[in-house]
Amino acid sequence: MPFLKRYLLPRIVQYLVVIFIGGTLVFIIPRLMPVDPVQQTLQRITIQGAFLDPRAIEQIRETLLELYGLKGSLMEQYFALWHRLLRGDFGPSYVQFPTPVMTLIKISLPWTVGLLVTTTVLSWTVGNILGGIAAYYSHRRWAQLMENVAMVIRPIPYYIIALALLLLLAYAVPIFPVTGGFSIGRSFVLSWGLVLDILKHAFLPALSLAIVGTATWFMTMRLLVSNLLAEDYIVYAQIAGVQDGEILYNYAIRNAMLPQVTGLTLSLGQIFGGALITETVFSYPGLGTLLYSSINSGDYNLMMGITLLSVVAIATGVLIMDLIYPFLDPRIRYE
Amino acid sequence: MDVLRVEGLKAFYIVESAGEQRAVKAVNDVSLSVRENEVLGIAGESGCGKSTLLKSLLGNIRPPLRHMGGKVTYLQGEREVDILSLGKEERQKLMWQHISYVPQGSLSVLNPVRRIGDTFRSFVGAHLEIKKEPGRFESLVKRHLEDLGLPVDTLKAYPHQLSGGMRQRVTIALATILKPRLILADEPSTALDVVVQRGVIQLLRDIQTEQRNTIVMVTHDMAIHANISDRVAIMYAGRIIEEAPVEQIFMKPLHPYTQYLIGSLPRIGDKSHRISAPGAPPSLVSLPPGCAFHPRCPQAKPICRQEIPALSLAAKEHRVACFLAAKEDADVDSTEAAGSR
Repeated sequence: MPFLKRYLLPRIVQYLVVIFIGGTLVFIIPRLMPVDPVQQTLQRITIQGAFLDPRAIEQIRETLLELYGLKGSLMEQYFALWHRLLRGDFGPSYVQFPTPVMTLIKISLPWTVGLLVTTTVLSWTVGNILGGIAAYYSHRRWAQLMENVAMVIRPIPYYIIALALLLLLAYAVPIFPVTGGFSIGRSFVLSWGLVLDILKHAFLPALSLAIVGTATWFMTMRLLVSNLLAEDYIVYAQIAGVQDGEILYNYAIRNAMLPQVTGLTLSLGQIFGGALITETVFSYPGLGTLLYSSINSGDYNLMMGITLLSVVAIATGVLIMDLIYPFLDPRIRYE
Repeated sequence: MDVLRVEGLKAFYIVESAGEQRAVKAVNDVSLSVRENEVLGIAGESGCGKSTLLKSLLGNIRPPLRHMGGKVTYLQGEREVDILSLGKEERQKLMWQHISYVPQGSLSVLNPVRRIGDTFRSFVGAHLEIKKEPGRFESLVKRHLEDLGLPVDTLKAYPHQLSGGMRQRVTIALATILKPRLILADEPSTALDVVVQRGVIQLLRDIQTEQRNTIVMVTHDMAIHANISDRVAIMYAGRIIEEAPVEQIFMKPLHPYTQYLIGSLPRIGDKSHRISAPGAPPSLVSLPPGCAFHPRCPQAKPICRQEIPALSLAAKEHRVACFLAAKEDADVDSTEAAGSR
């Protein structure tokens, strides 16, 4: 099977190597941070004013090191890490001890995935279609208007847009809730009310991500297509009288799509890292907020869990991309 | 009967650099006519305006190229159409069924992500109603490819899977599928090796014999003109400087430039040193005054530096734009005329 041996196998090896390196980095980097999780926990205990015998503190420290998996040399910790990871266990969270990291991720993941898959797919589709059309009819006034709007929006940091939307639609004209993913105290029984509540809470974060996302995809697609318009095969088809719609779709967009599909898979992989800033601004209960709080509290295991999830997701995205690319571009063959 | 008449055509590239507009005079006052069922060759070195002339003939004038004057009139049935004054839709209707085009560089002119068959479908579909009649397109393409001796399997291939020669044959098939009256070909064999070139030129010739259409063939390769063209027009610095039946051009060139061009061609058995024109062609932005060739012309006279020679009849069917040749030829003409009497 030349396909397996020459195409699939090297890519799977590459995939595993990427995850291995990712895991190693995820292990090293938090340990370089000036935050010591054991110290943090001890501080939390002593800050409440309880007097503790130094010997007791020493004992607690030992116990914590043991529980957190921070005992022994770095090498020993490193091997222990892979031993756990291969069993699909990210260990317990330090801050919300002893809840396993996996459980925390499982709670946050649906919120993030729901928010980001929707906005990414939506802005990718809309941005690409509009970008392609705007490039093809670049001399028309409406196309130039669209381009100007996108050009103004794109460089705005999305947290500024998020804050502006908050001020406008949650404070000045309070149509949408200010924070959270759902109304506090709502019971999670599936009902129209619940769905509506969740959608209402997700609307502003989604809108802020979609606005910037659409503008970004629009600009790249417009650039790609306007470069393609000078290609010989498009000029030739135009001379031959092939209709504009056909050229736009089958000649320009079909060819410009190739890098855009790669971009989409990468963005979909990145979802598993959460939308850190947007989620924080809106206090949205997703992975981004979780990651943010784990960094603040030096929660190594949680940080590692989320980051590694993101590494695996992006690597998987790239692998899937590699496998489907030959279908999109006939010039690439399984070799 | 003239199927295409070009009168005083001017097409310049208007380029702006440092706030200054400059005109690259790529097609400068060109007049020519193409007769039914002939092969007119257009020759000249790189940068003399051949390809730009062809673009203008196709009505494919887009910035920075600009139409600065003159007419390109096609005879379609009984109707005369000036392609440069047509709207986009009308021009598109004229294309492929009446005028067709074989471009230069066959790899880049075929859409890389679609199969050859799909390209045929979109080109044919733009001019014929093929959606409502299932099978019409398939049988049309199949018959056409078989007529040209191309394997029907090519339709399933992607452009990159074909050889250069095959791709060029495919573009020729694509250009001739609707049996156009006129085929404009721009260096159709330039990127190919000599053996394949021969096949491609032969294919064009066979199509011309079969479909009885007219070909305007642009190439710098004089061997191809010798092979296929009935008449040849020589271009230099945006103008046609000589135009004659192909034997005349090769046997009795009148313009000093054409003489150099023909003199530089290798001949079997002749081992003497070949001389080409000294110097380099002028910049199309700042043409020398008078005849554009005078700085390179060893026989240049004072008048050549001041006035632009008009293309005038020097012998039967032989037009030349040169003060020297025209004068010389007035004698030739009268002696010839006397001889025939």
